[in-house]
Amino acid sequence: MSPEVFVQQALNGISFGALLFILAAGLSLIFGMMDVVNLAHGAFYMLGAYVTLAIVQRTGQFYLALFVAPAVVGLLGLILEPLLLRRLRGRHLDQVLLTIGVSLVIADLLGLTFGREIHSIPLPAGLDRSTQIFGGDYPVYRLFVIGFSIALAGALAVIHRRTRLGALIRAGVDDAQMLDALGVDIDRLFSRTFALGAALAGLAGVIAAPVFGIFPGMDVDALIYSLIVVVVGGLGTLSGAVAGAGLVGPADTFGRVLFPQFALALIFAIMALVLLLRPTGLLGRVRIAR
Amino acid sequence: MRTSDVRISRRKFLIASSAAALAAACGASTPAASSAPSSAATATTAATVAAKPLKIGQLLPFTKVYAELGNSMKRATDLYLKQKGNKLGGRAVAPPIYEDEANDPAVGAQKTQKFIEQDQVDVMMGIVATPIAYAVRNAIDSAKLVFIETNAGGNALTRTTNNCTPACKSKYIFRASFSSWQISNPIGTYFATKKGVKEAFTFVADYGFGTESQADFMNAFQAAGGKVTGSLKAPLGSADFLPFVTQLKAQPTKDIYSFFSGTDAINYIKAWNQLGMPAAGYKMNGAGFLTEQDVLKEVKDQANGAVTSLFWAVTLDNAENKAFVDAYQKEYNLLPDVFALQAWDGMTALDQALTATKGDTSNKDAFVAALEGVKFNSPRGAFEFDKDTHNVIQDMYIRQVAIQGGNAVNTIVDKVARVTDPGK
Amino acid sequence: MFAGLALAVAALLVTFPAWTAEWESSRYATTILRDMLVLAILALSLDLLVGVAGMPSLGHAAFFGAGAYAAAIAAQRLGSDELLVGLVAAVAVAAVLALVIGLFAVRAAGIFFLMLTLAFAQMVFAVAFQAADLTGGSNGLAGVHRPTFAGIDFNGPEALYQLVAVVFLGVVLISWRIRSSTYGHALAGLRENERRMRALGYDTMRLKLSAFVVAGAMAGIGGALSAYALRFVSTNDVGIGRSIEAFVSVLIGGTGTLIGPVIGAAVVLYIERVLPSSIPFAETVLGLVFVIFVVAARQGIVGLARESYARVRR
Repeated sequence: MSPEVFVQQALNGISFGALLFILAAGLSLIFGMMDVVNLAHGAFYMLGAYVTLAIVQRTGQFYLALFVAPAVVGLLGLILEPLLLRRLRGRHLDQVLLTIGVSLVIADLLGLTFGREIHSIPLPAGLDRSTQIFGGDYPVYRLFVIGFSIALAGALAVIHRRTRLGALIRAGVDDAQMLDALGVDIDRLFSRTFALGAALAGLAGVIAAPVFGIFPGMDVDALIYSLIVVVVGGLGTLSGAVAGAGLVGPADTFGRVLFPQFALALIFAIMALVLLLRPTGLLGRVRIAR
Repeated sequence: MRTSDVRISRRKFLIASSAAALAAACGASTPAASSAPSSAATATTAATVAAKPLKIGQLLPFTKVYAELGNSMKRATDLYLKQKGNKLGGRAVAPPIYEDEANDPAVGAQKTQKFIEQDQVDVMMGIVATPIAYAVRNAIDSAKLVFIETNAGGNALTRTTNNCTPACKSKYIFRASFSSWQISNPIGTYFATKKGVKEAFTFVADYGFGTESQADFMNAFQAAGGKVTGSLKAPLGSADFLPFVTQLKAQPTKDIYSFFSGTDAINYIKAWNQLGMPAAGYKMNGAGFLTEQDVLKEVKDQANGAVTSLFWAVTLDNAENKAFVDAYQKEYNLLPDVFALQAWDGMTALDQALTATKGDTSNKDAFVAALEGVKFNSPRGAFEFDKDTHNVIQDMYIRQVAIQGGNAVNTIVDKVARVTDPGK
Repeated sequence: MFAGLALAVAALLVTFPAWTAEWESSRYATTILRDMLVLAILALSLDLLVGVAGMPSLGHAAFFGAGAYAAAIAAQRLGSDELLVGLVAAVAVAAVLALVIGLFAVRAAGIFFLMLTLAFAQMVFAVAFQAADLTGGSNGLAGVHRPTFAGIDFNGPEALYQLVAVVFLGVVLISWRIRSSTYGHALAGLRENERRMRALGYDTMRLKLSAFVVAGAMAGIGGALSAYALRFVSTNDVGIGRSIEAFVSVLIGGTGTLIGPVIGAAVVLYIERVLPSSIPFAETVLGLVFVIFVVAARQGIVGLARESYARVRR
């Protein structure tokens, strides 16, 4: 591989990783802080993408979808958490079954509503050209994804470190029971955190839609990738999601191209390797006591 | 009484009641089927049989990744029947029984059993995914069920193979769609000879259809004097095609031969344009599914100029195609795709065969012979089955993507006539 | 007396094709029941891990599929249709695979164990997909012969069904013996309090690994039966879909019980395969069933039945 190609592939890997970060950040939050195994995360992503489809088909406004879709998905999360998940605190198998059920319902209803055809949306206006990078064309939208992801990470970091909500979340990751004992309304905090996580998944759906398309089964792929990123990076911290995405994105990209025979399993092998060397993930802080 | 005894007794109670409930449920779920048990009445006269509506079992994907194809084929089937007043060969046709193959051979096998054992269909049609076709081939052959296959293109289904692995032809199986050889072999020869392409690079989806197409293309291209300079494979369902196209751009051969369909094709074409491949002189070629209508309706003009081979294009200029496209568009406000065409031709073949047997399907040998003798002008051109392999004999068109009437379509550039699958 | 009831049910199960011969759809119902029993075997084997030992594995289909491939390939390569050849090959391959994977996986717990088992299963899937010369690759392995045993040919649908039913009953029996044995209680101890088990002197790693291997071997038996039933092995049989199917069957039916996984498998298979013939939103129904069960029937179908039975008894 020549240096130029390497750099281009690295760029591909980073932009893929950027997308993975947006996708996984929410799951890391939900899992790390609320200790909830949310297997509906892929379905939230899918919902975000389909809402984007609806908006773009009707109004042609991608940037509108950027706000509306996460809001819709976040609202759904805000409703689902107290309704279904609250009573399952600590019961992981039940959470697994419930969230699988929710994802089946969401995916099927989306298929029934929008039809099971493959849909795609054009790149948003202004970002639909390619620019010259290192002597070759590169789609501007991918650069936008990288930039957006960095900005989002920054915003989340600020919330995490500088706001009350962030402090509560950090405390919740450390010791939710103590927080409860200190008089914080844990129920409300958890609902909001879940909603935030869901909204982030929805946001990932919007951003990814022009790149990956909108089709039945997209939720399973997204779920698997986000689980891998979260587990590799370590649960409960933003930096974990960054580390995980930063490793998985480029590894997947280079792996597919360099080792096509193992492409299907490469990312899983990497995850297994990381887990065997660092059982709680690269930057994991949460001790899973079972 | 020890607690373990009580637990056992509860368990056995549960086994008993659930088994009974299960059995009752299975029994109750059968629709009121028509009279006689499965021992078929072979001695019925044609008149009696023709009086019973024809039962067609259609196994198509309605969920998972190929759902779009299933929907398309159902539309064509329903439209054909509507046009014919729900009559084929003079015999009334019951609404087809559509079952979902769900991209899983286990499900496909079970639904095939349903067609055979419960619905007792007179003819079976469909199957999109090749592994499913391979999985049910033996069951269909054993049951002597006439099966008009309308998509799955795995070569082995209509060939003589070693140990019938992964599949082999059957007296009762007819293929109205294509074999992947028919699509990728002639274009290989065409490239090297008529088009004068000296070197090609192949890039395919890493699964049965992709690798089979790549092999068929390579063999033909190299036999005709061309050179394949390298190959790249992408896992099926790859989300991101940028890494692969980056690799393609990093190598010197400009003619790329690809095999992708559906979402993969859409993402591939988008990445192709985003990385400026056309401007850099690279040419996209491939098997027709790369640029079929399901793909073109999403990528629009981004595939302009791509050269592909397929046995049909929406722009084919013949009377039957015009009628087909017009009727489909009028009914569904959509341009038909090749999958709809395959289903349409399947129905036409069935119609003609039934006309020959005067609606009788109970005499299997006569039914099979009638299908073997089917010959008509299809929207794709002259259509007939190979007497030996039961695979369709058809013309292969070399097409090029262009914009016509505001839509991205495949225009016909050249033709390879009467392509017959070799059968071995 | 209850042993008698059990025998009666078992007899009914094995002779199902006979006493339903008058039904319209007897043969199809037999096919469906056969597939339910195969999934039930897989679910039972998984429950040994999930329900008894508290090890949530999301990659169990790897052993199911490995057993299926092994039975089919052994029969082809060794040129023998003997049932024992296929079953032994299936159990051996599945057990060895479980040993290899287990050596790595059992070091983890909870979500990490879940993800590791998923990862290893995906690697098995990748191998099955790529090793086309051996497994048929994405096109699958066709032409699998049904076995013979002691002169009996299991080619016909009724005969094969009875083979599946008998093996199923055998697996139920084995599962029952394991669960009620000291070993089974030790595994249950793992789920309840691993630390205490260790304090009591148990080698918990060894215990977990043995459970993993036993469960894997059992799944392999199910796989062999699947290969015989379908006369086909596809990559779907080692895929994540199959693993999830088994997992939810266990959860729906009621973890830790003997009959729970069986009923769960029947319910899941019914909704996934039989219901779609009637309605276009079967997946939604399946999802709602999951949600309702979690919310309303914590212990799964078995727990629900127990509660109502207890209520009736009062």
